This record gives sequence, C-alpha cells and structure tokens, in this order.
Amino acid sequence: MLNPDHSLRDRAGLADAGTSTDEVLDPQALARLRELDPAGKTGLLERVLRAFEVSVARLVPQLEQGRASGDLHAIAHVAHTLKSSSASIGALELSRLCADCERRVREARIDGLDAVLDAMTLQIGHAVRALKHELAPRA
Amino acid sequence: MNPAVPIDDDRAEAPKVLLVDDDEVNLLLTSAALRERGFDVTEATSGETALRLLGDWLPDVIVLDAIMPGLDGFQTCREVRAMAGFESMPVLMLTGLDDDASITRAYEAGATDFFVKSTQWSLLAGRLQYLLRSSRTRQELERSKSKLARAQDLARMGSFDWRASAKSLALSVETLRVFGFPPNKSLGFRGLMRMVPGGERRSFLRLVREIVAHSSVLYADVTVKLPEGQRQRIIHVEAEPEFNEHGVVAGYTGIVQDVTDRRIADQQIRHLANFDTLTGLPNRRQLIWRTERALEQARRLGHQCAVLLIDLDRFKLVNDTLGHAAGDELLTEVARRLRSCVRHSDMVLEGALEGVGQRSHRLLEAVGRLGGDEFVALLPEVADERDAERVANRIIDLMREPIYVAGQDCFVTASVGIALYPRDGETVADLLRNSDVAMYAVKAQGRNAATLYHPQLAGRGRQKLELESALHKAIERDELVLHYQPKIDVRAAKMVGVEALMRWERNGQLIPPGDFIPLAEESGLIIPLSEWAIRQAARQAKAWQLSFGFADSIAVNLPNQLFERTDLVEHIHDAVSHYGVPHHSIELEITETGLMKDLQNVIPSLHRLNEIGVEISIDDFGTGYSSLAYLTTLPISELKVDRSFIRDLGITPQSAAVATAIIALARSLGLRVVAEGVETLRQMDVLHRLGCSVMQGFLFSKPLPAAELERWLESTVLPRKAPWIVPADEDAGPQVAAGPV
Repeated sequence: MLNPDHSLRDRAGLADAGTSTDEVLDPQALARLRELDPAGKTGLLERVLRAFEVSVARLVPQLEQGRASGDLHAIAHVAHTLKSSSASIGALELSRLCADCERRVREARIDGLDAVLDAMTLQIGHAVRALKHELAPRA
Repeated sequence: MNPAVPIDDDRAEAPKVLLVDDDEVNLLLTSAALRERGFDVTEATSGETALRLLGDWLPDVIVLDAIMPGLDGFQTCREVRAMAGFESMPVLMLTGLDDDASITRAYEAGATDFFVKSTQWSLLAGRLQYLLRSSRTRQELERSKSKLARAQDLARMGSFDWRASAKSLALSVETLRVFGFPPNKSLGFRGLMRMVPGGERRSFLRLVREIVAHSSVLYADVTVKLPEGQRQRIIHVEAEPEFNEHGVVAGYTGIVQDVTDRRIADQQIRHLANFDTLTGLPNRRQLIWRTERALEQARRLGHQCAVLLIDLDRFKLVNDTLGHAAGDELLTEVARRLRSCVRHSDMVLEGALEGVGQRSHRLLEAVGRLGGDEFVALLPEVADERDAERVANRIIDLMREPIYVAGQDCFVTASVGIALYPRDGETVADLLRNSDVAMYAVKAQGRNAATLYHPQLAGRGRQKLELESALHKAIERDELVLHYQPKIDVRAAKMVGVEALMRWERNGQLIPPGDFIPLAEESGLIIPLSEWAIRQAARQAKAWQLSFGFADSIAVNLPNQLFERTDLVEHIHDAVSHYGVPHHSIELEITETGLMKDLQNVIPSLHRLNEIGVEISIDDFGTGYSSLAYLTTLPISELKVDRSFIRDLGITPQSAAVATAIIALARSLGLRVVAEGVETLRQMDVLHRLGCSVMQGFLFSKPLPAAELERWLESTVLPRKAPWIVPADEDAGPQVAAGPV
C-alpha cells in the first residue's frame, strides 16, 4: 500500500501543474455523461455543472466549518456526498480523496486527515474549472 | 450505444420511479440516465419530501439513497413500509461501494434490494427492471392466492397436508373455516375426529387406516357436528398420497369440502324423481324399481309376492263435481289411508340392496301412486293369496269411512285387482297387467271389491280388446248404420220427426247399441262414432227432403262428453252445410243423467247449438235428478218421458202421476213432450188424454232402415191405415180404452 501522504502530495502537485481537463476529469465518465444527452438538447452537462457548483458552494463552507470546529461528522458527510457526485462527473481523484477521508473518519485515523482535506479542497477547484472548460466549446 | 428503448414490452406505461437522493448532482444524473432508459422519474432530495409525495401517489419502484442528512434512506424505507399499500412496494437502496454495514441495514429496514452507486447507469436500469418484474410476479401470485382462497371459501373448501414423519396434520385457514373455526385455531386429527359422530367415526378411522396401509386414495363423505350450534354438516374429503424419492409415502395432501347443500339438493332431486308430489307416495318409476327388486328376491328366496292394483270408483265424478282441488285433497287422504294398510317404507331406494340383510326385501313394501286415481300396493313376501286378500280387504274397509273434502263427506270406494308372483306373472309388466285385468273385473261386477287374477278374466279382457279394435274399423268398413224410429203426433196422425239409432252389423249380425256403446264411451271411440252419426243424419235428411219433402228433424243421441267439445257446433254446421239442409234438420238428444253429470261444461254448448237452430231434447227424462231450477233456464226444446213410466201407464197409478207431472211441467215451461216406448193403444190413449200427443214406440214402428221407413210411411201413415189412426170422421178425441187411469 502506498503511503497516502506521499501519494497525495504527488498527485496534488500533478494536478496543480496540469490544466488539461483529461487529467482532472475521466474521459470515460465524460463520455457516459454526454451519452445521456447526445445532442445537448436538455443541456444536461450545463445543469450538472450548475448542480455541482451549487453543491460545492454549499459543501465547502460546511467542510471549512467542520475543520475549524473539529466536527468529524460534518466532514464525513461532505466527503460522502462529494464522493459519489464527483465520481459521477468523472472527477475520480476528488472522489478517491473523498472516499479516503470518509474512511479515515470512520476508522478515526485523524493523523494525515488535514493533508487529505487540503487536497480535497484543491481538487474541488480543479474539478469546477475543468467542468467549465469542458462546457466552453459548447456554450 | 444505449438507444432509448421501452424497457418493458408488455407494459404500456413507463414504470414510475421515485428517486430520492440529497445530492443534486447524483439526482440529476441518475434521473437523466433512467429517463434515457424509459423510466418515468420523480425526484426527491430528501426522505421527508419522498414521504410527502407518497402520501397521495404510488410509484412502481422507489430508489433510496442510504446516507442522507435528516431522514436517511433506512428510516425512510422503514416509514414507507409502515404505510398502507406499501407493504410489497419494491425499494432499492443505494449504498457506497465499501459500505457493508449499509447493505445489512438496508435489508433490516425492509429494502427489497441494494445497489452500489455507480456511474454505470445500465446496471441500475437493469436492476430496476428486475425488481419491477419480480414485484409484478409477486403481485400476480398474491392476487391468484387470494383468488384461490376466495374460490375455496365460496366452494366451502379447504386444503390440508399430512406429513408421515412428523405425524402432523396442517390445515389451511379455509379448512378451519369449513369446520367452523377461526384462522388461529390449532386443531389436530384427533380433534377433528371428535367432531364425527361415534359410529361413523369408527368406520371412517377403519377406512383411513386401510387407505394409508395401501397408500391408496382417500375419497369419502363424513358427517361432522360443527362446534357452534351443533349444526350437522356433510364434509367431503379427498386426499392423495405423496411419495418420497424411495417410493415411500411421505404424506398425504388433500381437500375438504362442505357438501351439505349439494347432498340436500341431491336428496330432493332423488325424491322428486321417485315420489309423487301430491301424495308423497313412491311414483310409478320407484314402484316399478321396487317391484323388480322384490321379484329378484322372491326368485332367489323362493317365496311369493303380490301386486295389488287399487283404483278408486267414480273418482272422476268427485273431480267433475267438486273440482280438482277437492279431488287432490281426496287423493291425499286416500294415500294416507292406503299407507296404513301395509308396512310402508318411505326410503328412497336406488342401487343395490346388499348389506341390509336377508329380509331386506321387507324394505320394499309400499303403496305407490301409478297416476290419476290408480294406486299399487306391493307386498314383497306373501305366504299365499289369502295374505294378499287380507290386505285388499283392509284397504276396502278403510275406504268405507267417508272422506271430508270441499265441505262435505265423500264416499269413495275402491276396486282392487290382485296378481301374485309367480302364479300370475313372472315380470313386473305381467303382474301389473294382470292385476289390472282383475281390477277391471271388479269394476264390471259392480265395483267396491277385490278379486284375484284368473286366466279366464284375461280371456274376457281379450274379447273386449277384439271388440274394441273391430269397432275402430267399423266406420271405415261401413258396418255402422243408422236406423230411424218415427215420432208420431197422434192427434194429427202424422210423423213429426225421427230418432236416429246406431246399429252395428258385424259379420252379418246386428249388434245392439247396449253391447258396444258403453265400450265406445270407455275407449273414446264414441267421439268419431257420434260425429259419423251427425253426418249420416244430415245426409239422410237431404235424401228424404228430395224423396218426399221431409222437413222435420232427425234426433241424434250424443253422450255428454261430446257436448264438452268446443268443435261440436262447427261439426254440425259443416255436416248440414255439406248436404244443404237447414240446421234444424238435426236435433240432439242428451240423457238427463248425462246432462246433470256435467252441467257446467255442457251449458255453453247448448246455448251455441240453440243459437244456430239446433234443438236439444232431454232423453230418459224422470230418471235422473234434474234440478228443476236449471230446467227453467236451459236452452232446451223437448222432454222425452222415460219408457219406464210409459210401460206401467194404465197399470200403476204412480206412473200416471209421474207422467202427468212431467207433461204439466213441460207445458208450463213451454217445452214439447214426447212419450217413448209406447207399445199399446191403451198407453196411447192415456197419454193423449193427459195432454201428450207426440209419441214413439213399437205401437207405431220399431226403428227401421231409411228405405223401410219410407215404405212404412207410404203404406201406413199416408193412407191412414193403422190401428192407432183414429178415422177422421170420428170424435175429435181418440177412443179411450176402459180401465183405471
């Protein structure tokens, strides 16, 4: 098993440097999303982005607050919710981080949690940006 | 790749999915994916919203996210299950990939299945389809199960299961209901058997043991006393063995059914088929069946048996005068009395008699009703003919008591004919026929008695039969002729009409009416005979009209039953029209007795005949018991004084008194009066003096063939050469002979 801290830093660095959507959003997941609205008639991708933004706008403050007050339960809830929605839009790295966070809280492994949370915050930003970029040619 | 195809071919509407997820992104994507696959998705972002929606709406399937803030998926699922109508709603719980705890909790909360969240939408759609299909199958199963339960309930039927290993009997709820118990009652075989009455229980247990021992099929009806109200029911039981893989009986499965109503209906049907509805006695069918069995037994055991045919005397008279209701009442009472004359058994007997014992034929003994006023007493074993005669005499004795019907005492007698097996016949048909012959012999000898069959009686019967069949052919063979006797008005010394009298020339012999008219009346042949006579008379009237200007009427004698026929008027009309003579050419004579016997039915005919000009004459007047009140209203024209009064005229003063009275009566009612059977001048003189001038009798002429009558007229009346013709120059009144009047 990889040292989570190491791998986290590694990936965070990668993500930091990369601006390509491909590296943030999984192409396969994106393809599946497009299939749901092939001609773009329902504007699904845009609605998903908006929903993700709304969700993030609600969850990020909850996460910050949880960290400030050491409310692990609130942190786990944010991680759980983001875990599946990020997976849905193809933000696999974010989803993985969320799952890691959730597991750590469940198993009460506090050490290293901060780093994971930091990475999560970073990846949220990447995901939102990547989604916007993904939508740009169509908008 | 995944075109939007209807997910289910046999369902017209898109399946309705309630999708509950607090995460908008997932909600949006999942519902888009499901819509894409033909589902009708309704979204809810929380458990609370979902429950609110379900308050007045029913989806086909619910998809619940397990982890949600507020009411989570598990709690929502629990609450959904508690709602009425959602007990079997398919609920799919969405869980995380590595969340084993949620899976367990999902089932505990009543979820139908779980699904690990995935972006592989087709997997989710497939799972939903599967859930819907199984839910539908389950619904159908439950529907058919409840249908079956209802059908069993309607059929008063239930099922049971007996396991040999556990020696346990499992009764379905429906079975418990059949036995009158609530669904939760625990009841074993022993408890059930306690409900069966003692004797039947033992034989049923014996049967069950035998069937189990032979691994055969159980098929039986058992009487059961139900717990509440002690109602007795008939329960039909059917069970088949079930074998295990070694071919050994593992148990029995079967059904019970309350067949009480059917049994009662069966019994009623059998009773209706075998018993007379009026008297409740065995009917012809049952009687014949019993007699057949009695003969079999008698043949086997070598004893005699007797058939008594009982016919009421003059029953028709009761029916005719008092009405059919009174007749029925009388028959019922007669049946009751007859029943007391034998060891009458009312059992419905069908099938075999085995198992009832050596003397089982005793059960056959009964009185039955053959039909009408005919009854049969079957005595399955008699020592000799005196045994049978004793019963016959008891019957005749019992009939002596008057029967009170329609407000009056009726005296009914019976004629009984007896036939014995084997002496008088070997078969039911022979015995019935010969008892009938014997019974007719009793009738012929004056009724109200019993007689044993004797071969000579049959001979007489055969003679009668021959005569009857010969009479049938008499018309077509021209063997019948009419003879005519003149009616004479002695004052004017002329013929004023004739009476037609039927004669039968058979094999060159003239058979007098007394020998064949009663037979014709009995057999119904009198009707064609009378119709023939009417035609013949009309024909003769025409012939005489042409020959010597005959303008009077020919009187034809008709029995009362002919007056009851509605076509009599038409028939006369046709006859006179055919020969071109006026209606009054035909006059009808009915005897006073005949008229009074059936007055109500005859009167309408008399009126119609009178209207078309056919006159009615009352024959044999003074012998019946006419109601004088009726005479004043009846449309009649003539009274004929019976010959018995004429015969004694001038000998006994009483006869003169009757004749005087009749003549006076006729005159005051404005009727003609005719004296019959006038044979002497003295009789003629007396009658004339009493005021009766029209006469008939040997003094003038016997009945003659038509041609001879014509010659008689030419040689006697026209030249005024006869002892009874007073010379014209003499006194207006005829010579009165000496002697008391």
